Amino acid sequence: MVTIDLATLPVREANEQLRRIGAAGDDVELINPDARHHLGVGLTSPINVTVRGSAGYFCAGLSDSANFLVDRNVGWGVGDNMYQGSVVVKGNAGAIAGVAIRGGEVVIHGNMGSRSGQVMKAGTLLCAGNANFMAGYLMYGGRIIILGNSGEKVGEDMASGDIYVAGKVESLGSDATLIDLPRDEVDSIMEFLDRYEISFKGHFQKVVNAGKKLRYATSEQQMRSIPFFSFSGASDYWNAKVQEDIFIKAQIGRYRIRGYGGARELPHLSDLAFRKDLSSAGNDMGVLSRVAMKTEIGGINGANPLTLSMPVMVAPMSYGALSASTKRAIGMASTLSGIAENTGEGGMSDAQRDAAEQLIFQMLGGRLGWNIHDMQRANGLEIYISQGAKPGLGGQLMAKKVTPELAKIRGIPPGIDLRSPSRHPDILGADDLVIKVEELREATGYRLPVSVKLGAGRVRDDIKIAAKDGFDFVELDGMQGSTGAGSAEVLEYVGIPTLPAIIEAIEALEEIGARERIQIVLMGGLRDGVDAVKALCLGADAAAFGTSAIVAGGCIACMQCHVGQCVTGIATQDPEHEKRYKPGVESHNIHRFFESVRFQIAAITDGLGYTDVRQLSRDDLVAVTPEAAHITGLPYEPEYRDINPDLQMQAG
Amino acid sequence: MSVYDINRIKVPQAASGTEDHTGQTHFVPAPCQVACPVGTDAPSYIGYIWEGKLEEAFEAITSTNPFSSICGRVCDAPCEPACRRTSSDGAVQIRNLKRYVMDAVGHTYDLPAIEVSQSQTVAVVGSGPAGLVAAHDLAVAGYEVHVYEMTDRLGGMMIWGIPAFRLPPEIIQEDIDRLTTRCPGIKIHLNTELGKDVSLDELKSRHDAVLMTIGSWWGKSMQIPGEDDPRVVDGVGFLRRINNGERPQMPETVVVVGGGDVAMDACRAALRLPGCREVKVVYRRGPEEIPAREIELHHAVKEGIQFIYNTQQIAVEGNGDDLALQCVRTESGEPDEDGRRRPIVVANSEHTIDCGLVIAAVGQQSECDHLGDLGLMGGDRVATEWESMRTADPQVFAAGDGAFGGSTIVMAMSHGQRAAYYIKAFLEGRDDPLPYRTPYRTRRVEVAQDLQWEKNPLQEPKFFGIGDKPIEFPEIEATYDVNTARDEAARCYRCDAETGSADYSVGHREDLFSMARTNPNDQAKLKAMFDKRVRQRPDPFPDGRDATLDDITFLPANLSRLVIDPYREACKVSTDISGRLELDLPFFAAGFDAEASAVKDGLADGLRRAACGYLGVSPLGDGVPWLQLVSPGTSANPEAAAVVYVQGERFEPIDLAASTTQPRGMAVYASGALEDAIVYGLDSGFEFLVLCGNGDPRKSWPELAAPPDLTLIRDAITVLRKLKKEEAIDLIWYGGARSGTDAAKLIAMGCKAVVYGLPLALGMGASISHTGLEFAADYTVEERGEAAANLLKAHASEASMMARCTGKTQLHNLEPEDLRSITIATAAATGIPMPGTRAA
Repeated sequence: MVTIDLATLPVREANEQLRRIGAAGDDVELINPDARHHLGVGLTSPINVTVRGSAGYFCAGLSDSANFLVDRNVGWGVGDNMYQGSVVVKGNAGAIAGVAIRGGEVVIHGNMGSRSGQVMKAGTLLCAGNANFMAGYLMYGGRIIILGNSGEKVGEDMASGDIYVAGKVESLGSDATLIDLPRDEVDSIMEFLDRYEISFKGHFQKVVNAGKKLRYATSEQQMRSIPFFSFSGASDYWNAKVQEDIFIKAQIGRYRIRGYGGARELPHLSDLAFRKDLSSAGNDMGVLSRVAMKTEIGGINGANPLTLSMPVMVAPMSYGALSASTKRAIGMASTLSGIAENTGEGGMSDAQRDAAEQLIFQMLGGRLGWNIHDMQRANGLEIYISQGAKPGLGGQLMAKKVTPELAKIRGIPPGIDLRSPSRHPDILGADDLVIKVEELREATGYRLPVSVKLGAGRVRDDIKIAAKDGFDFVELDGMQGSTGAGSAEVLEYVGIPTLPAIIEAIEALEEIGARERIQIVLMGGLRDGVDAVKALCLGADAAAFGTSAIVAGGCIACMQCHVGQCVTGIATQDPEHEKRYKPGVESHNIHRFFESVRFQIAAITDGLGYTDVRQLSRDDLVAVTPEAAHITGLPYEPEYRDINPDLQMQAG
Repeated sequence: MSVYDINRIKVPQAASGTEDHTGQTHFVPAPCQVACPVGTDAPSYIGYIWEGKLEEAFEAITSTNPFSSICGRVCDAPCEPACRRTSSDGAVQIRNLKRYVMDAVGHTYDLPAIEVSQSQTVAVVGSGPAGLVAAHDLAVAGYEVHVYEMTDRLGGMMIWGIPAFRLPPEIIQEDIDRLTTRCPGIKIHLNTELGKDVSLDELKSRHDAVLMTIGSWWGKSMQIPGEDDPRVVDGVGFLRRINNGERPQMPETVVVVGGGDVAMDACRAALRLPGCREVKVVYRRGPEEIPAREIELHHAVKEGIQFIYNTQQIAVEGNGDDLALQCVRTESGEPDEDGRRRPIVVANSEHTIDCGLVIAAVGQQSECDHLGDLGLMGGDRVATEWESMRTADPQVFAAGDGAFGGSTIVMAMSHGQRAAYYIKAFLEGRDDPLPYRTPYRTRRVEVAQDLQWEKNPLQEPKFFGIGDKPIEFPEIEATYDVNTARDEAARCYRCDAETGSADYSVGHREDLFSMARTNPNDQAKLKAMFDKRVRQRPDPFPDGRDATLDDITFLPANLSRLVIDPYREACKVSTDISGRLELDLPFFAAGFDAEASAVKDGLADGLRRAACGYLGVSPLGDGVPWLQLVSPGTSANPEAAAVVYVQGERFEPIDLAASTTQPRGMAVYASGALEDAIVYGLDSGFEFLVLCGNGDPRKSWPELAAPPDLTLIRDAITVLRKLKKEEAIDLIWYGGARSGTDAAKLIAMGCKAVVYGLPLALGMGASISHTGLEFAADYTVEERGEAAANLLKAHASEASMMARCTGKTQLHNLEPEDLRSITIATAAATGIPMPGTRAA
């Protein structure tokens, strides 16, 4: 038994020691914990840790196989995302005890706070006292045993799993129901209680999901998309798309869902022009060697940065929305082009990890596929707050795509219409976020950049919080971003376009003198190196491409991603359709797309007279539409508009 | 030509008469259309097939191709390998679909005849696909065209080269009849051979221009010892005999040398002839390199033809009755200039293949002593400049296999089109016309709404093989029936159709495809794409674009505001009007006063289900709260849930003598009446105002005319703010709300509830026509009721979702601060600011 005195050793060093001692197989005693946060976070050795006193937030969080005993109380999120092992708390636990656990056992001898067991996937959470409201909120699996009273709304929106309540069921949550308790389950509970030496006499009631909300009641009629040119402008107020929407909604009685990005035109980077004549730009391949493009992202606070061969990344897209083959192809392309790939929401597969040399691992509110082992093998960690296509809402994945394989990696029941939570269980505001960021850093030894994905809305405020909360970079996503499935109306009408997003971000950071404290990767409807350069001119550190890379890899933009039977094998989990996708071929197509982007970035930078992409500035740009001028503050100089010879011919 | 070559990026300027499409800048031809040498609008005809519009499909097919029936059977279909579905689960069967249309209507349907309108005439020598297509295009342009054909029938290699089991003679006749019917200006001279029956000089004196489409009529020799044995014949000569009706006795074993289309036809023809038991095809390269079309090869194998690859003939050995082909084996070497791997002879691999007949199908050539004497031949072809299709004689043009070597029917046809273009320019006296380019047109056919389009497997037509009586050369395969044709047509990706996304429109998508197919070292292509991408799009919000609800967006909650938890549909939408009208949903209906009772009954049913009221001159029925629209001179009905006095262009005080206890409101549709109405309403204790953005609410379907005038709400709020009475009277909006999102925006702008008119009608089966609105007759009252209730529920779910995205638990907590305008016009009309700034 090794003793660590937290009165003298900072938590960060204590955690490092814990990991070292754990690797050696010794047990540890932590004294003078003084309710510090993050004790034992990221510990993956099968050792016993005794905390002599109270622990703060996320005690034993992101751990696997270790056994913790806490003498007194714990704060929020005890056992957060634990894989295996156990945590025994002799006193009370704060909110979200056992949040997102994927196995193991969390035993609270006293009472536990609200939303305990939120988004848990497996394992057992036991509370010998009373639970506060919404225990088992959004749980996907595992069991919660409450020996006291349930608290209000127990099992709120649970998708699966079991909740056993010995005391009073104060009220049932939405889509939760009470059922009879099978005998063998009682035996199993009693065995569990015996093991933890908790004496109990009484009866249980069992709360499970009622199954009324897991699937949409009526399925939406599948329609192939309507061309955009038939519904823009005033003359077509009651256009075909409006009429189709009305027609379908009158059948299904709810909002429509579809995949892909917004349908209509928004002010965009293509409404800007360069100040210089670029007609002879890119006249030779030498631009690639004349322009310095190598970019490091994520290292400003001391983490190992992502090293990009050009200021370009792949935007986050999930395995789930996309097929495994597609994720593999994108990963391979990112490696070929020397840029970084991102897992998106759906967890990290070995194939993805192997394909992409640099891979960011994204954490969402549902903590789908999130785990310490994949964190440790990632090159960056990202907290998803929202995305440009559907900010303010969680992800959606229609049942057709929630296959057993996919459900396994996400830790959820197969075959449900998955509506991911719209926010994190443990991030209710900026202050919680700081603690969460710290937890991720603690769990990975401060080695990895931690970024935040933000859908553009109140960018001016959000970006200040992101900078203040210590993120290394932000992936800022304008409303032109796409998605695998989302409310059709949210796709069109929530958020602000990519163009004002970057303007507000830079302006806000400069207001508080924090421009150097965070890097910005801009995304949302970027399609080529021209867009990327404009993003850089406006102040972004890098640009990210999502849909464009998918299109380069064979997507035909039919906008049926949500249906799940993608004709090209991209947005599907159906093996018959997925086999249509050839990762070996498409990875090269995507790679060549990125190389075209590289050429364009180099050609413009060189054409503007620079030798380094970091020399680009907003002075290189003008606005060619009044809207773009209004949004960016760039001078409105329509005479800079390049004349499209085809259009000119038609006009003349 | 690769579909993704630089021409797809850097589109050459179109010549007069060949412009791409009629001014629709969105149109980007699909890869299949680009791959087709004659630019066939395949996506459109496929779309028409799905719609069952076969005559329209026929028009799309034949407009650039006078030999559509022929192509439906034997085109080598370069469109199919270009089809984007090829890499998924197999190309759309474009050729078979064409055949389906032509079989169905090709023999009955003629396009109107085109009379001669020009004084000049043109001679065309040879009536193969190049010659006849040129004749067609010139005749369509009004010229009289004289076709001189040395044999006794029209069609060239189409008739003499392709056996009847693949292309029955009546199919050829069908196309030729259609062509001659359509073009009475084409005069035919059969059995007229150049140099024998007519000289070039004669043609030049009779006509203003001459086109040589003399074909590649003669087989090349193998250039090996022993090939002068009478049991060695050339492939095209052999086919000519067969296609002339001969059915010669074959030896047991026939060897065909070569791997092209002639070899395929020759080997399959031989197999069907009497006496033949086996046919072997000897080809010097491997199966990867064989030039025969995949389907021909596949059919030949199915019929039992043996293929001997990597084997090269070196001599023919004839010994009395015995005949053998001496061969060596080869192996694949480095790729040569056409990308195919060069065969390399394997040492000591000599062997013989015994047979009774050798058919040499190793290439064709042109021969014409007459033109040779005139110095117009270059080697075995008519010396022709591709850029102008001219020969050394300024009055003489040439095209087709005879000018550019053996090719396919469709390629020869494109030569004919090209030649016709340059001949027209010549006849019009234009010396330096813009370079010819294949015209691409689209008929803008809607995408097939077939739920199985992603799933339908490739539909193979039934294959019969050699059949029961091979000697009669029965056709080898069937066409589709209606259902399989439709299933196959539904598979089309419709690469031509615009996508539903402005950011990833067809133009952008094709650029991204091209970028993904550009060699990173191909500077010219990279530069061409750069030049294209660096251009800006047209201004999407040009001057004069109205302010519209479309151009308003919500600001989502992220870090600075809490996202709503719980996330599911848990944002309240219920409200009340001044505490007197309780509303489960913040919606009313309006506009149905003049509709038939069946429609009104349906609406009443829906409103009852959704617990929503009706704003109208007359009540809708029991159980539906009625907001009575009262005109000057009429009086309030005590049955109404509320009375709404309609104001006109100018405010008129209301006679409140007969005042009721019902909640009272005013409907205002003219800005001139607004301020007075507000002041009066406040003074007189009115509970609400109905702001009518589309004019008089008593009219039927006022929303059809134009987008709503959003300034009304801005001005109402301004007045109320000025009076410091913002919460003192509730605002209800009527006009142009199409969705729950629109309603949420209007509520955020300051309204309490929203009235739906047109959307309910559309949801209940109405459609917009030139004359107004028409309700489908085949809806029951219950169906209409359910649709209306569903729509209201759906709109509530949308509105609540918008509120949740901004971090609200109650729809009515939305505020103007939750909105942004994305256009200047909308910002001006609504007072909602635009995002961004960086003010100078």
